[in-house]
Formats: sequence, structure tokens, C-alpha cells
Amino acid sequence: MAARVTLTAGFSRRYTGGVREFEVEARNLRGVIKAMDQLYPGLGHHLEEETTVAIDGAIHETAYFQPIRPGCEVFFIPKLEGG
Amino acid sequence: MNDIVTGFKWVGTRPIRPDGVPKVTGRAMYAADMAMPGQLVGKILRSPHAHARIRSINTAKAAALPGVKAVVVAKDFPDQKFEYIGPERVAVNFWHVTRNIMAREKVLYEGHAVAAVAATDAIIADQALALIEVDYEVLPHVIDVDDAMKPDAPLLFEDMITRGVEPTPTRPSNISKRLEFQIGDLDAGWSQADVIVEKEFKTAAVHQGYIEPHACVVKVDADGQTDVWSSSQGHFVVRALTAKLLNKPVGDVRCSPAEIGGGFGGKTVVYLEPVAALLSQKSGRPVKITMGRDEVFKATGPTSGGSMWVKMGVTKDGKITAADGIFKFQAGAFPGSPVMNACLCAFAPYAIENAHTVGYDVVCNRPKSAAYRAPGSPISAFAVESVVDMLAKKIGMDPAELRRKNAAGIGTPMIYGPKLAHGGYRETLEAIINHPDYKKPLGPNQGRGVASGYWFNGGGESSATVQINADGTILVATGSPDIGGSRASMAIMAAETFGVDYSQVRAIVADTASVGYTHVTGGSRVTFASGMAVVNACKKGIEDLRARAAMIWDVDVEGVIWEDGQAKPAGSNVGDFKPMSLREIAGKAALTGGPLTYATSVNAGGQAPGFSSQFCDVEVDPETGKVTILRFVAAQDVGRAIHPSYVEGQIQGGVVQGIGWALNEEYIYDAKGRLDNAGFLDYRCPVASDLPMIEAVLVEVPNPAHPFGAKGVGEVNIVPPMAAIANAIDSAIDRRMTELPMSPPKVRAALDNGAAG
Repeated sequence: MAARVTLTAGFSRRYTGGVREFEVEARNLRGVIKAMDQLYPGLGHHLEEETTVAIDGAIHETAYFQPIRPGCEVFFIPKLEGG
Repeated sequence: MNDIVTGFKWVGTRPIRPDGVPKVTGRAMYAADMAMPGQLVGKILRSPHAHARIRSINTAKAAALPGVKAVVVAKDFPDQKFEYIGPERVAVNFWHVTRNIMAREKVLYEGHAVAAVAATDAIIADQALALIEVDYEVLPHVIDVDDAMKPDAPLLFEDMITRGVEPTPTRPSNISKRLEFQIGDLDAGWSQADVIVEKEFKTAAVHQGYIEPHACVVKVDADGQTDVWSSSQGHFVVRALTAKLLNKPVGDVRCSPAEIGGGFGGKTVVYLEPVAALLSQKSGRPVKITMGRDEVFKATGPTSGGSMWVKMGVTKDGKITAADGIFKFQAGAFPGSPVMNACLCAFAPYAIENAHTVGYDVVCNRPKSAAYRAPGSPISAFAVESVVDMLAKKIGMDPAELRRKNAAGIGTPMIYGPKLAHGGYRETLEAIINHPDYKKPLGPNQGRGVASGYWFNGGGESSATVQINADGTILVATGSPDIGGSRASMAIMAAETFGVDYSQVRAIVADTASVGYTHVTGGSRVTFASGMAVVNACKKGIEDLRARAAMIWDVDVEGVIWEDGQAKPAGSNVGDFKPMSLREIAGKAALTGGPLTYATSVNAGGQAPGFSSQFCDVEVDPETGKVTILRFVAAQDVGRAIHPSYVEGQIQGGVVQGIGWALNEEYIYDAKGRLDNAGFLDYRCPVASDLPMIEAVLVEVPNPAHPFGAKGVGEVNIVPPMAAIANAIDSAIDRRMTELPMSPPKVRAALDNGAAG
């Protein structure tokens, strides 16, 4: 089963013509980013540079090694900064 | 995901802090304590105007003054490309950053740096500053965020077009960016509500208020090699920014961390280091620059002031059905307020199906805002948590109970997209509801207020190096400046992992050439992320120590286990060996492969957010309007407290800063946009005599992604206090305070005009 990938409204407006939800087959986040970049060339770079990722709700830095299990929810959200 | 260790020997204990003795004896070396042979004194000329065009700068007389060794102005720095690099909230535009370091075309706030000198002593440096001639064309200025958004407002940047608006505006404005987040269907939510409350709020810009002003010493050698000693929340970031602003290779810059006297987010950026580096480069001598307190207030980042509107609906039985908010934040002179965080955190404590937030990042003639403890979240929480209190009062429900009824938990959809993966909020509410003082009766003019807060907490890149010395003692080096007790917590986690005594471990903060890249001490990330790096390095060490012991015993490594800080045979079949201590293994290090050194780096993820619920009791003096805090109880989910005293200290510190934000702290500008209260006598931070003992209640819902269950603890505690106090004031005198600070004149005015909430 593919992973369900969602972008924020802002990201989708800027980079995917408003499309927010995708289904992607991947074993790790590298695969997700690669697949997204194939759909929208250049998007991969934006995802790497501008996002934090929530995988089944748990927030991680966007990094290739994060494992993706079938059916999981992947949200790319704006990168955060604390004080 | 790691297995959480239980049954601790050191985690959760309160050993003496390793940085305590040098600090209480005055020997700790802060940046201003550093000195080098031949060092010059650097000083900065600052703008007397809130907004002016620089027609010309003449430094000839200053440069000619005997004793002056270097003068720099903006054109001495390489200019930077205009582009936003990186993510939305933290998008850095170095065209802006270099102009904040040193003004070019315009000065944008009083205190904006315009030139700098290096001289043989401070008197000569001051004389030189006085000789610099700057020809200004004074321009109209704007301080307030609502004024700055008006179509006829003076423009800081004549070509700034608002980002995030479609269609793209054709006219420039001071609105740098618009953001919007939504979940569910607001109209459906309003239709389900029995009670709807909407209200406008304003908060003042407040400074982080660290005791130690910014300072640095920089030495640039003839070959360009640059050494920086400074007080910061992240010397690797100081290195990166200094190198970028001077077009130097990162490898040519080495940054050493001084002790830091507070940062709270405000020392994650640079002001002085690139300037001192350029002065040193020009003069050929080391240069030290130390800010005065007035410079700290006028030229370093406060957090934003905000202007907000919040609307929420609730059913009679206490289900919040919809929430909407507009948040307009002062960014200061350059774009980059924390308004996105405000939009994301505003309603995050609650499971609200229909929610919507809009944020505006607005430039105005104030110093550029910088991060401050949970940046953005306390500001929006003041509005949201005040409205939640109004809802509770209107439906006659206990305010903590209303929050518990709507508490977000694992699986709650968040306005920023994903479902919440961690609990802990409900537990903080239960901690205050069950607190023995929560139902205590109050006297006349006294009131009780409740509020909650949410903060993401951080993870990210950290490195650690663990060395085992010849006598079996352990050195733990990280790249995280120690602001909140990280040396103690790193030593505890190392002692726990190795199974040795805490006194055997010494933790230090290493310079950029001595440990791997480590992101800032900020975002409540250090105990989580750097702690993970330390634990991983220790585990790597244990594997190696087992191998070394196996070599000494001449057995297979599988025959050796690590237990209680010693190598032991895995079973009687391995052989009759006495346990071998770290000291014994270290003593044979040369024979078994060389020094015992273990380095690791992580990009830590799976951090859990922080939740805090607080209640306070206040008494309002109806004659003067003064609010006295009688009691303050702050419950926070800390995951696992590695060193509980430090965790309690973080909670108490955050609450105290919140009390200052609530009651007294504000920037007061005169008609010309000049700051009238640039000092601690007139900018009123709380002092010990203003405060009761802050009771910190540690709620421990461990995070399974951390080896000991730790969650970030440094920030969320500052989110609830302003609303908790406003809610308590309303309970005491039936007046809804909607503007911070709730200082005596404002409370008196509320009493006089009779505006009940």
C-alpha cells in the first residue's frame, strides 16, 4: 500500500498547482522526495530545504533515512524554529 | 525508535551542576571577560533616527584620529543577493541580514548600526565615533503594527510586495507576507455553537532580557584565518553567518563558545562578530566589541508585538466547535516575525474540527525581531486562552475542565496538517485540577486564572565526542552551548549509559574545530537531540570497550557483556575473569588499538511537543491598579526529567518571563520613534521581590523516541502566563484586559471605564 503524502496549502499553491494529496510508493523519505520530484521537477529541492516532515504525526527533520511504511501518512510542513 | 530505559541510577537525580563553582566564584569566562594581547576596542556608531535615508558618511576625521586603527561602514562588507533562502519561518535573506549588521541605503530604527571603529582604548573609540559625519534625510516612521499596515503608512522598503497573496499585489506595503491555515468547515462549526465570543487583543514587543549583553573578541590573521570568541546560543551558526557575511570559506572561521548569560532565542543571530572580524582584518589586531545595555535594547531583537482578533464557538456542554484567528505581528525593520508559529500553535492544545488562522508579517521602524522562547506561541496564546476563559465563564464551566474536555491527544488532527502523535496535555490539566491549591478560597479583589500552551520542541543536527581518559574518567564534548544545564544533563546521560558514577564524567562545550556540527541551543532541542548524540557515542564506546576487553581476555567479543560500568564475562563458559573497569581497559588502550574516542552525529527526529497548563492567583489593588501575583502553579509534560532541578528552573524561568510580559514589560517610544526606556530601570523585568515561589509540577509522559524519554522543556512554560494572569484579573475585578502589559495605569483605566469582559 502506498504512503499518503500531503502538502500544505501554501506549498501546493506555489509548487504543484494546488494539488495537495498524493500516493507514493517508497521505502524511505528519499523515495518519497524522489517520486515527488519526478511528478513536479524541482519540488524535491524545495521539500529538502523548506520543510519538516510529520510521519504518522511524529515530527522529524526532513532526512532521506526516515523509513516509510506502507499506508503511513506523510505531511510536509513548513520548517520550524525555536528560541 | 529506541527502547526507553527504566530503573535509573542517575537520570532523575539532582547532582551538583558542573558549571556551578566557576559561576558562583566569578571565574566563569563570559565573552566580555575574554582578552587578547594587542586587542583593540571596537565601538559602533548607531542611528539617532527611527527612519532616514543615508545621503553620505564621512569617516576621514575619525580614521585620522591618533589611536584609531580601523573604521568600517556598510560598503566594506560584500553585498548579498536578494533572495529568501530556506524555509518560510526561518527564511534568511542575506540582503536583509547584512543591512541589519550595518545600514546601507537607509537606517530603519533608532540604534541601527551605521559605522564602526577600532581604537587602542574606549575613550579614543568614542571620540572617533563622534567624528564620523553622517548626512541623514529624516523620513516619516511607523512603530505600531496596525499603523504600519495602513495603505498610507511610511514604507520601509519602497519595493516590498506582500508574499502569499493572490493575485500578487501591485502596490508595495510594509506587509512582508501573509499566511493562512485551515482545517474543517468554519461555517459548520459556528452553526453548532451555542455561545460565540470574539475579541481583539494587543501585545507589546518585549525583549528577551538576558543579563549578559552581546560581546565578542575576534582575531583575523594575515592569511584570513579567523578566530571568534563570543557568547551565543550556537557557535556553529555564528561561524556560518560570519563566513557568509564576509564571503569567507566556513573552514577559515573557528568559533569558540564563551559562557552565556542568557539568550532565550535572542542569541541565535549575529550582530557584532562580522563587524569585529572586519575591523580586525583591517587593523591586523584582535578586536573586542561589547554592547552596552542601551545598545542591547535598541539594536537587538525583541520578540514581536502583535495585534490580534480571535473568535471561538462552544456548545453549552463545553465542546469547542470552531475557532478563527487573525494575527498581525511586528517583524521589526526586516521581515521575519514568528507569526507562522503563532498561527500553527494558537489552537493546537485543542481538538477543534473547524479552525482557521491568518498571519501577517509586518515591517516597522523597530529593531529586527529575534526568536524568544517558543517564538510566536505566547502571543497568540494570550488571545486564544483569554477567549477560552471567556467561553468557560459564559457557559459556567470550570476553565480547566473546559480545556480538559477539548484537550488534543494522540490522533487529533492539527491545523498544520498531521495528526498529533504524542499525548501529555490532558495530564498537565489533571495535574492542576488535582492540585490542592486549585480550589482554595480567595479573598476580596483576588482572582484565579487558568491557561495552557503548546510548543513544537525541536530535534535536528547534533554531534558529540566521548573520550575515555587513562584513569577511566570520561570526557563528553558537545557543540551545544550550555544555557539551561546541558552539561549536567549530558553527564547524567553518559553516566547512566556507561553505568559509571556521575563524578567520573566531565561534560564540556567544544569549539567548532573540535566537535561536529551542532545546531543552536534553541527550540528546546538540546537534551533531546544532543542527548541522543551523547547516548549514541556512549553506546559506540561500550561496543568498543567490550571488544577491547575481549582482546585482553583473548575471547570472542560475544563473550563479554557491559554491566555496572564494567566488562564482565557473559557466562561461566567464557572463562574465570574478574570484571574489568574502565580504568583497567583504558590502561591497556595502546595495546588494544589506541585512544578510546567515540564521535557521533545525529539528525534527531521524533521529538514530542511540549504542553503546559498553569493557574495563578492574583490580587488587584483597586486604588493603584497594581497586580500582585499570590500563587503560581505550572504543570508541564517534560517527558522524563533528566536533572529535575534544571527542569524546574526552566519552568520557573519561563513563568517569570511570562509574568514580566504580562504586567510590565514594553518598549516605550517617543514621538520621533526613539526608545525611551532602554535600560532595566525603566524596562521593568520582574525581580525576586515581585514574585511568589513558582511551583513547578513535573508531569512525565515519556517520549519513546528518546533513550530516556526526554522531551524539550525550555519554552512552552512561557506560553500560558499572560493569559492566566489576564484571566485571573478578570476573575478578581470583572474586567477583561485585552492589551499587554497589564500595567497599573491600564488596570486603573479598565476599572474607571467599567468595561467588563
